[in-house]
Amino acid sequence: VSTQSTWDIRKYKMSDQYNGAALVGMCGKECVALACDTRLGVQLRTIDTNFNKVFKVNDRTMIGLTGLATDIQTVSAKLHKEEKVYRLEEGETLTASMFANFVSHFLYKQRFAPYIVTPIVAGLDYDSITKEWKPVMAGYDLIGCMDQNNTFAVGGTCSELLYGACESFYKEGMGPDEIFEVISQALLTSMDRDILSGWGANVYILTPTQLITKKLLTRVDQQLFQYSNLLSVKKKKKKKKK
Amino acid sequence: MGLLISRGMARRYDAKTTSFSTEGRLMQVEYAIESVNRSTPTLGILTKEGVILAAKKLVLSKLLAQEKMSEKMYLIDDHIICSVCGMSSDALVLVEKGREECQNYFYTFKEPIPVERLVELLSNTIHIPTQYGSSRPFGTSILFAGYDSHSKFQLYCADPSGNYASWKAHVLGINNANGISFLKEEYKDDMSLEEGLKLTLKTMCKTLDATHPKPEDFEIVVVKKDLTGGVQIVPLADKVVQDLIDKSGLVVPEKQQPHTFN
Repeated sequence: VSTQSTWDIRKYKMSDQYNGAALVGMCGKECVALACDTRLGVQLRTIDTNFNKVFKVNDRTMIGLTGLATDIQTVSAKLHKEEKVYRLEEGETLTASMFANFVSHFLYKQRFAPYIVTPIVAGLDYDSITKEWKPVMAGYDLIGCMDQNNTFAVGGTCSELLYGACESFYKEGMGPDEIFEVISQALLTSMDRDILSGWGANVYILTPTQLITKKLLTRVDQQLFQYSNLLSVKKKKKKKKK
Repeated sequence: MGLLISRGMARRYDAKTTSFSTEGRLMQVEYAIESVNRSTPTLGILTKEGVILAAKKLVLSKLLAQEKMSEKMYLIDDHIICSVCGMSSDALVLVEKGREECQNYFYTFKEPIPVERLVELLSNTIHIPTQYGSSRPFGTSILFAGYDSHSKFQLYCADPSGNYASWKAHVLGINNANGISFLKEEYKDDMSLEEGLKLTLKTMCKTLDATHPKPEDFEIVVVKKDLTGGVQIVPLADKVVQDLIDKSGLVVPEKQQPHTFN
């Protein structure tokens, strides 16, 4: 049986669709949320079902990445390294907006040999004048064009679907509980329609006091026992009738 | 020692760092070590439960704006801290390189750098100007204190010649001979952290000839394990230092001092 698919011919030209990912970020009132799927595939074949794409940078910032999986790993490791060096050198933690600008600069450095990633930086900036935490949300293209806004950012193979879902579900001034519901719905509806992403989802909600992590029940192609760690409901074993 | 002997001969060979003298010594390196020996003292003590680094705070001028960061102690990574003795500008170059190297190691191996490896890397950097032309050697010795899972708690000293050694206790700076001879007698292999801290204060006072030590004069940092088993690098607060000074019996209360009358 041949495992070649028509996608193979274009696999090097469509590197951002080689592994598959889904990522969405939303801003709320004094909170931000990032949600990603957890599938890692090689085109149509699923390799890993627990491949996380959102990383915590420091207490005020997190970054999610989509695109080529090896570049996701490299870019996140390099950004962690830079954040650590900054923290040791300056004695202070990097603020969210500074980190967002840094990511743009970091990607542009590789203008002619780019990292094939679409990052989304989500964080909270403390405004000492109004004494409020302002959400910071920035999406980028692979060479660092920063798109900063106060609403939402999307990335991944199902980004067109996500744009539609977010546009419908998003509203201003959501709290942490509401933002969890909205972002989960937006991600699930889009992800389920896209073959390259899915198979589990992680949602990260950053508030001024904590980082809340949640796993979502999603559609999976086979309910095997080893994927039971994805389910948040305990499996009830049927008792055998004697 | 050694510099007093044949000073006249040595002068002809001390201009360039890359020339040996007739006695087979690199005079520039020795002068760099001499420069360190004239600097504000710093010491380190290794105990089973942790490593202690102490330094005398450098108070150059009342007009200096108070700095957030210390001038003697620098955090290299979450599990390594260093204390510098000598020219602080030279030290900062090394500290920055050290920080970069720690993160490069972590980026490659996803594990914190072993302390000895970092000390070796920096010693190699320090060694370069002693062998290759036209730069002067680094004018600093650095004490490294850290923890890693391979060799547990460690204390190293890197000097301007590019050598480094692992120490149980070491003193750098002015009057370090006093401190070292005191430590040779008082240091015990199985000290607890508390005993180590008291010994640190006593050694510091011996080195500085200080009769009335105050917490503002010192900076003391401890590398130890916290309750969860992770490494913790803790600078001691003034209150804690004052408590130690009281417990270690360094200051004789005024009432007990005998009055002498002519």
